[in-house]
Amino acid sequence: MKKVEMDSPSRGIWVFGDYRHYFQNRVTLQLIAKAKTLAQRRDAEVTVVVLGEQVHQYAMEYVAHGADVVMVVDHPSLKNFQVETYSRVVAALVEDYRPEVFLAGATPLGREFFPRLAKRLKTGLSTDCVALEVDAGTKLLLQTTPAFGGELLAEVITQNHRPQMATVHPGVFEERIHDSRAVGRIIYPEVDIHPDERVQLVCSRPEQSKKGYLENAAVVIAGGRGIGSGEQFRSLFDLAELLQGEVGATRPAVHAGLTGEDRLLGQTGKSVKPRLLITVGTSGALQYTTGIQGSETIIAINRDAQAPIFEIADLGLVGDAHSILTLLVEKLRKRL
Amino acid sequence: MDIIVCIKQVPDVPNIRLDEHRMTIIREGVEGIINPLDCVALEAAVNLRERQGGRITVLSMGPPQSEEALREALAFGADQAILLTDPAFAGADTLATSHVLATAISMLKPFPDLVICGRQTIDSDTGHVGPQIAEELDLPQVCGVNEIHPQGDSLVVKRLYDGFQDTFRVNTPALLTVSQDLSSPHHIPLGDLERAFSDREIIRWAIKDLNLKPEEVGLGGSATRVWKLRKAASKRRGEIVTGSTQSLVEHVIRKLEALSILDEESGNG
Ligand SMILES: Cc1cc2nc3c(=O)[nH]c(=O)nc-3n(C[C@H](O)[C@H](O)[C@H](O)COP(=O)(O)OP(=O)(O)OC[C@H]3O[C@@H](n4cnc5c(N)ncnc54)[C@H](O)[C@@H]3O)c2cc1C
Ligand SMILES: Nc1ncnc2c1ncn2[C@@H]1O[C@H](COP(=O)(O)O)[C@@H](O)[C@H]1O
Repeated sequence: MKKVEMDSPSRGIWVFGDYRHYFQNRVTLQLIAKAKTLAQRRDAEVTVVVLGEQVHQYAMEYVAHGADVVMVVDHPSLKNFQVETYSRVVAALVEDYRPEVFLAGATPLGREFFPRLAKRLKTGLSTDCVALEVDAGTKLLLQTTPAFGGELLAEVITQNHRPQMATVHPGVFEERIHDSRAVGRIIYPEVDIHPDERVQLVCSRPEQSKKGYLENAAVVIAGGRGIGSGEQFRSLFDLAELLQGEVGATRPAVHAGLTGEDRLLGQTGKSVKPRLLITVGTSGALQYTTGIQGSETIIAINRDAQAPIFEIADLGLVGDAHSILTLLVEKLRKRL
Repeated sequence: MDIIVCIKQVPDVPNIRLDEHRMTIIREGVEGIINPLDCVALEAAVNLRERQGGRITVLSMGPPQSEEALREALAFGADQAILLTDPAFAGADTLATSHVLATAISMLKPFPDLVICGRQTIDSDTGHVGPQIAEELDLPQVCGVNEIHPQGDSLVVKRLYDGFQDTFRVNTPALLTVSQDLSSPHHIPLGDLERAFSDREIIRWAIKDLNLKPEEVGLGGSATRVWKLRKAASKRRGEIVTGSTQSLVEHVIRKLEALSILDEESGNG
């Protein structure tokens, strides 16, 4: 292991560096940005922890996005994410350096790894947070997480155990712009690595779907249970085509087989931030709206004037989805 | 193959209501159900037992009424049911919950070959408990699996994860959490359900049976606290329009023009 510098980072805020699909999966960068604002209030440093093989380029990226310190453990047996091995290595680092706060993205990886790590460290963990603040008085991290199907938001604290750990919903925070002149320290701590042989990766193939098309679309047309049938769902694709957008869906629409899982929006699906989102026949459950709330403009169509979706809409149309869609598609076709 | 399935009784979330004054959930009148993914876990266990033989034990920590969920699981095909219930267990976060469940599992003879959990529950939705049991029992874990194939002393499992279809070989004993893509639970024959409610036995263990101390369980054994609950934000930010379909569609078109998504056009657009 190469030793560049051996500085001990002050008890600060740590972020787990998940660099897989670097250009699509921005959650680590979003967390660095958030950690920086939290760190200011606590007068602490932000450290990103990166495990893997030949990961130096990511360390540099994290510095450019605001990390004060990047802690790199570079080893061939860390090439693939392996939850038992990773938990052991990261737990040893936490015990040596004792961060106050430790954050990871609430991706499937974060949600598999952080519970095990928290248990090993005998500390608390909150999951899929949608907001993080430092309490002015106690300096504790206030971790806001949806509870009971999103009806409520719970503010959770970890009073006496350290680190205060949380996974955070992707897309909630904005990453900082890349600054190639930013300075940070990259350190290579000593740590023993004993790979766990009990779980072996046999193979790993990319899932058969276009990646990122939904996240990158400038216009998203999203449909929910209120759309009714598959045939009516197709009119969303017509509208999307006319506006050069993509189609997304709520959980019930996916379950009803109206479209595939890869178009699911929300807490268990994708988060999108298009210039315009038109959401049709969706009630506006929090698990869904967390995935769309970053949209610049939201137009909602629902026949129920009391539907919660109207609370986040810039323009809300009370009416029947089918007739509105049909007429809208017809009018737009005439104009093109 | 000896299999443990961890199940939790949860309120049927879509039907819960909120007491807006006290900021609590009104549970009265809301039916308790087995967490949907735990039914998937149970189904996976039943399928494995069909191929491999063995026994299925269902395990739940919860208030006394969780017995209903265990009886349902017996009707579904489990061989044995254990309820971990004690007033001291109340208020547990996932650290304390996993401690109680792991302690119970470690007391079983023989030690199971496989522990299966749901990937997450619909009420707390953390997905912590599976990996945390695995950590406490020092078991290898794979989360969110959608296929399980026994192969000698190991299992070949698949999952869809962050855009990848991964295949693993896992040595047993192991812990798996299952995703909804695994299989759809079969229906329980009514006769089985009746029998499970009348003449099947539920084993009950309280804190003393597990040799645990009050400070290790429940609220005392938890690292997190809920500081406060609030209703999810609802800030209305735009205008709501009603009227004929024609006029509604015109509103949309004007908005699209204002956003320059459509070019402005005069005439009968
Ligand atoms: C742990 C957990 C995670 C979840 N994750 C997600 C997630 O990632 N994404 C997600 O979407 N959901 C998720 N859900 C489900 C979520 O809670 C809601 O149930 C779901 O978003 C509701 O979808 P919907 O709005 O399409 O359906 P509904 O809530 O049934 O709403 C349908 C709406 O359509 C309207 N409507 C009906 N007919 C018409 C018509 N003809 N014209 C106009 N409007 C009409 C109705 O008034 C109603 O408001 C999750 C739930 C849980 C518990
Ligand atoms: N009180 C409990 N009793 C038994 N199993 C539980 C309990 N809580 C959680 N589990 C198991 O752990 C899984 C994940 O739960 P959670 O971490 O609450 O999302 C569930 O699907 C169950 O299999």
